[in-house]
Amino acid sequence: MSEVQRKKYSEKEKTNIFDNEFMPHIDSMYNFGYRLTFDEDDAKDLVQDTYLKAYRFINSFEQGTNAKAWLFRILKNSFINEYRKKSKQPAKVDYQEVETYYNSESVDHSITSDLRVDAVKDMIGDEISNALNSLAVDFRTVIILCDLEGFTYEEMAKILDIPIGTVRSRLHRARNLLKDKLRSYAQDMGYDTDNED
Amino acid sequence: MEKDLTPSGERKLECDDVSKCFQLLESILDGEVNSESKETLDGKLAKCQPCFEYFHLEQAIREVLKTKCSKQPVPSELASSIRQKIEEIK
Repeated sequence: MSEVQRKKYSEKEKTNIFDNEFMPHIDSMYNFGYRLTFDEDDAKDLVQDTYLKAYRFINSFEQGTNAKAWLFRILKNSFINEYRKKSKQPAKVDYQEVETYYNSESVDHSITSDLRVDAVKDMIGDEISNALNSLAVDFRTVIILCDLEGFTYEEMAKILDIPIGTVRSRLHRARNLLKDKLRSYAQDMGYDTDNED
Repeated sequence: MEKDLTPSGERKLECDDVSKCFQLLESILDGEVNSESKETLDGKLAKCQPCFEYFHLEQAIREVLKTKCSKQPVPSELASSIRQKIEEIK
């Protein structure tokens, strides 16, 4: 955690910040943790760990700035540094390769032309959640942060420690992957996703 | 099935710059672009079928993500357990 702008909060101020600026985000934090780990206990540990770190480093939090983004950044780092290391997750995908592939215009075009708005609107929550959960963690994360939690690109760049341009392109690729999934669900539902006749 | 457009063609069937347009549409949907560009957007959507379809599909996906994604209830004891641990390190 950075040493810049280190403040000295009194015990009372600390409690006040913790209760009024940190704790209200517990719901979002738990859901973020759950969507990263798919495990209730791991999500709980991750959130608890995040709040303890947040308290310990509370002096590097500037009051009045975006507490939610600050907390999400800690949670994301805890996930990468601790949980991901010891978990039995599959070997890391070479995202660069995946991202390059999904950046081609032909992929853009084929995906958009054969998934219908009606089919998307008719999908149930489980299908949407499963589609999201099937994405590799880096892609899943940007969609969670943007669409479910409403962070701006700038906030996402800070949470993820990546440039805004990377946020934008990763989000774009993540959405293409998501559309791929949704399209296969749509086909299973019997929607005609091909425009052949 | 082909999208049935009027013979005069209200919308172009091919977009001149799919990549650039789609990226702009996404930024608009994500609230990253100001209102001036939204006027350009309306004009664009009225003229270009691929952009029109892409915009509405992306909008629908954001909507279902926001409204239908199942939420996990927070375990009731989590908040109190955090507070207790904080008391211990104080």
